[in-house]
Amino acid sequence: MSEQYIVEMRNITKRFPGITANDNVTIQIKKGEIYALLGENGAGKSTLMSMLFGMYEPDEGEIYIRGQKVNISSPNHATKLNIGMVHQHFKLVSNYTIGENIIMGMEPTKKFLGLFPMVDLKKANQEIRDLSIQYGLEVDPTQLIENVNVSIQQRVEILKMLYREAEILIFDEPTAVLTPQEIEFLLKIIKGLRDNGKTIILITHKLEEIKQVADRCAILNRGKLIDVLDVKTTSTKEMANLMVGREVSFTTNKKPAQFKDVILEVKDLCVKNQDNFEVVKHASFSIHGGEIFAIAGVSGNGQVEIADAIAGLTKVSNGNIFLNGVDITNYSIRKRTLEGISYIPEDRQVYGLVLDFSLKDNIALKTYYQEPFSSKHGILNQAKFEEYGNKLIERYDIRSSQGTMTQVRSMSGGNQQKAIIGREIELQSPLMIFVQPTRGLDIGAIENIHKQIIAERDKGKAILLISLELDEIMNCADTIGVIYNGELQKIAPAASLTTNQVGEFMMGVKNK
Amino acid sequence: METIIIDGLSFALPLFIMAIGGIYSERSGITNLAIEGLQGFGAFVGALFVVLVAGTAGTDSQPVFYLSFLFAMIGGMIYALLHALLCIKFKANQVISGVVINILAMALTSFLTKQINKSVFNAPSDKFQLGVSTRFSIPVLSDIPVIGAFFKNLYPFEIIILVIAFIAWFVLYKTRYGLHLRACGDNPHAVDAAGRNVAKIRTVAVMISGALSGIGGMCFAYSISAKFSSSIYVGYGYLAIAALIFGNWKILPTLGACLIFGFARSAGYQLVQVLEKPSSYSDLVMILPYVLTLLLLIFFSKYNRSPKALGEIYDKGKR
Amino acid sequence: MKKFFVKILGNEKRQAITIPLFSILISLIVGMILIAALGKNPFTAYLNLLQGSGLFPKPKYSAYQGMLTDFTSFLNMMTPMLFASLAVAVALKAGLFNIGVSGQMLTAGFIASVTVGYSQLVAPVAKPLVLIIGILAGALVGCLIGFLKYKFNINEVVSSIMLNYIAQYLFSFFINTRYIDDISRQSIAVKEASRLTLLKTPIGNLKVDLPLGIILAIIIAIGIKFLLDRTRLGYEIKTVGSNREAARYAGINVGKTMVLSMVLSGALAGLAGVTYYLGYVQSIQPKVLASTGFDAIAVALLGNSNPIGIIFSSFLITAVTKGSGYMNSASGIETEIASVITGLILLFSACGAFLRHLVKRWKTEIEEQEQTRKESK
Repeated sequence: MSEQYIVEMRNITKRFPGITANDNVTIQIKKGEIYALLGENGAGKSTLMSMLFGMYEPDEGEIYIRGQKVNISSPNHATKLNIGMVHQHFKLVSNYTIGENIIMGMEPTKKFLGLFPMVDLKKANQEIRDLSIQYGLEVDPTQLIENVNVSIQQRVEILKMLYREAEILIFDEPTAVLTPQEIEFLLKIIKGLRDNGKTIILITHKLEEIKQVADRCAILNRGKLIDVLDVKTTSTKEMANLMVGREVSFTTNKKPAQFKDVILEVKDLCVKNQDNFEVVKHASFSIHGGEIFAIAGVSGNGQVEIADAIAGLTKVSNGNIFLNGVDITNYSIRKRTLEGISYIPEDRQVYGLVLDFSLKDNIALKTYYQEPFSSKHGILNQAKFEEYGNKLIERYDIRSSQGTMTQVRSMSGGNQQKAIIGREIELQSPLMIFVQPTRGLDIGAIENIHKQIIAERDKGKAILLISLELDEIMNCADTIGVIYNGELQKIAPAASLTTNQVGEFMMGVKNK
Repeated sequence: METIIIDGLSFALPLFIMAIGGIYSERSGITNLAIEGLQGFGAFVGALFVVLVAGTAGTDSQPVFYLSFLFAMIGGMIYALLHALLCIKFKANQVISGVVINILAMALTSFLTKQINKSVFNAPSDKFQLGVSTRFSIPVLSDIPVIGAFFKNLYPFEIIILVIAFIAWFVLYKTRYGLHLRACGDNPHAVDAAGRNVAKIRTVAVMISGALSGIGGMCFAYSISAKFSSSIYVGYGYLAIAALIFGNWKILPTLGACLIFGFARSAGYQLVQVLEKPSSYSDLVMILPYVLTLLLLIFFSKYNRSPKALGEIYDKGKR
Repeated sequence: MKKFFVKILGNEKRQAITIPLFSILISLIVGMILIAALGKNPFTAYLNLLQGSGLFPKPKYSAYQGMLTDFTSFLNMMTPMLFASLAVAVALKAGLFNIGVSGQMLTAGFIASVTVGYSQLVAPVAKPLVLIIGILAGALVGCLIGFLKYKFNINEVVSSIMLNYIAQYLFSFFINTRYIDDISRQSIAVKEASRLTLLKTPIGNLKVDLPLGIILAIIIAIGIKFLLDRTRLGYEIKTVGSNREAARYAGINVGKTMVLSMVLSGALAGLAGVTYYLGYVQSIQPKVLASTGFDAIAVALLGNSNPIGIIFSSFLITAVTKGSGYMNSASGIETEIASVITGLILLFSACGAFLRHLVKRWKTEIEEQEQTRKESK
């Protein structure tokens, strides 16, 4: 066994009910390199790394760490083998301090009254300060997690690994929630960690990042290892084609926009959250028919609240919203829908669907109370539900095991989203709001949804698109508004902005 | 005035210890409506111990008195294991599980009390008779005017409760286990990622909850009626839950809530006596804590923040 | 073993029936073990339960008594149980847990007693009036709970328990001070004209108590089933119950729907109250809540919150409760065993979701094993 590899995963196969997540995958990682795992959503990258981190056990195959065959049974065990992982969804306790989060599970203790062991926070915080200076990841260990932004939270996650003396660091899609500038910083940190002798495994579907930092790159597609490439000698285009398994075009084709009359007008909008804190501050903008207006911004800067305020899910504390010239600021949610708003919400499982209901009941979620679904006296007509469900299933290619009777919970994310988008398009509303419409979907589905959004625009609808993916915004938008800390920093035609400029506005760098 | 304080304390402190139990369970993320059943079952086991040894040691002996609390703790703890099992292992709805536990506790203890009385003591009775708890006053301190009442005519269990409450506070806020427990109630995934076993932490928390409830139940058995019977189920467990909600899932504010309940109740009784109303008016006084709870909840529920992961079934696979 | 369970419980459509049946079976077995441990014959004991409920002939009857007498008095007891369980079920469908059914029953029963029960009204007026007052009183309490939940976000479990105790002590105070019967230590019995059970009606050579409410209860159960499955309101209740956020997003007025379902639940509990206090019994015992409201939780869970299922489950639970009196006299087992068995049924029904999950996992396991076996061939 070649000692040069610090991690070897050989002939790994992992099956889940109905799917083979990893099919005979072999990867070998050298000490001190940045090794990227590239693939679409569902290609099996995360599953593979979850096995290295002890969250699952492989059905077949072997794992060697520093040449020793190991059977990693738990994250605890992985930690003992000096393996650390930053998960895509951070695992932090929101009402704890940064320090408490970092030391959890490894707390230093002292004796209270020389007898009872208690957590020694003072000592821990000092250790964390030292560590954070050493790696250039400055944090204040006494701050509460709920009071710091995502980028700092990610630093906390990295410090957690370093505090546990991890040598092999796994990053699962670390840049998904960051601004371009924060990404730059993170990539620098990652390089620094490598120069300190750490081994890095980077899971991503963003090619530019790989090009920037990685030494080698393994490409996965549908659970199979396609190729391992030397990053320096391979072009991004080549990598992309291997990743998807076919030729991809990087930009969505669309005709130039034909602006019509203003459909949505938002004036001086303010929204307060539960703690009475202003999360949207005096936002004003308007959207024409035939226009895609995209709001770019880092997660949690008030963009979702703008969408919720327009749809009526959140109360407005100041300002007005006009739809086709009608002031709808104080309308109920239902009345707004009837006035002409379709809304594809951020979290399809929490807002968009009733997971325990059948597909047909979900498809009728916004029309069930109208004729022909319901009589004047409130008696439902099940046959119409069935008929309408079948119509949409066919029109929007929604796939499920038992047709209209399928419980939505059992459907794939892509098909769930198709059902929502189909339902909302069929409302024929002049305004359509899309919040993160492609989250967690694979490239094929993403392309398809982008096409649908543009098709709706071309029908003369006003589109509000809110996304954390800058690529998506640059691809689709006619007009871009950038939000930072609840304020719209800049509103300009998409063609006049570069990705980097948008990124700067997302960071709150003002140059109005 | 003196009686109001003395009676108020002897009611508030058992309530407090049960509420601390509730805090342990709920801060770890397990909704615990089972306190009512846990205190009843704990008191049943404690009382059973007393009547079983009464023949040899007598119901009034001091060691029996203290040991009964130990047994009540064990009883509550074991019975709480059922709630933990349902909520953690069987992933049942935690609210429903709590109510089920209560109904079952009531059924089981009244059945067993009758059955044991019949088969062991050959006496048809639906209660276990306990001895009378001694009371004592702390010298010097109890002589201070007004405040002295806080140190007068105390049940020994009031001291036990205060000591245990302090330990419970220390463990929850200062130790590693406490840190992990409170984290489980906010984001169990973080605890899991830190290599700690969420299910185990929660199971222990629910068992502590059972043990503390058992103490509370035993106190009520001694102080209110000096016996165990189904009359122990008068909803003090639910009152404890209201207290901890009102106390925002924190130990010290919860003590305040319990004291308010206790003093409101004893003041009401005092009022009936002062006004020389017939005893049926005590029914009206009994309403007081419940009405107070509702009113307090109306005014304060807005400011309350329950633990984030409370009541959610933890599934490792989900992210 | 696993295969056996999957075969029996595997079909997801059938699970709505098979899993509750399975819970009952386990509870009855545990009950048998318990009875056997007391040194009694469990089979005789269970037979006694059926005999006591008029579902199986007793060895001998006294004058004017027969199996029919027992059966109608069983139905008399089942009527409030059916109403109460429907009350729990409707709330559960809306995602609310109405543990205050007993308190709502008492409120309805007390108000109907003092307004109609003690009046001189003739039967054709009094009986419908009792029903109406019961519905209104129950609905009012339900409305309060729903309102507190909607307006102040007070957990309905906590508020309904508080209201249970308030009702219990408040009405006990009024009964003790104004309506006490000095001999029975209960409230004065209501006039026969207002009672929803026709007493000692001669049928053949028997005299039986005919509960009028049972027919109404079954009609209402079917009505609730229709409401939930076939009406706009039912769709809204279920949406709010399954996913409150999605309901709001869909434009449903969540607060109104919750309050409405609590009103409905309270009204059903009110019907349970009048059929209990002015039907099954005729007076109110101070400071005691009827256990019906709590047993109803078991019935509703067992019936999967399905009104038709609940007709069957209330039949079963009532049989256990009703029969336990005869079991006591015939076999000498404490009547409390009935509530223990009910508690056990409740316990195992609470695990239903887990069982469903488990069967599903085993099913995929077995399917996978078969797949690999096929592949290896």
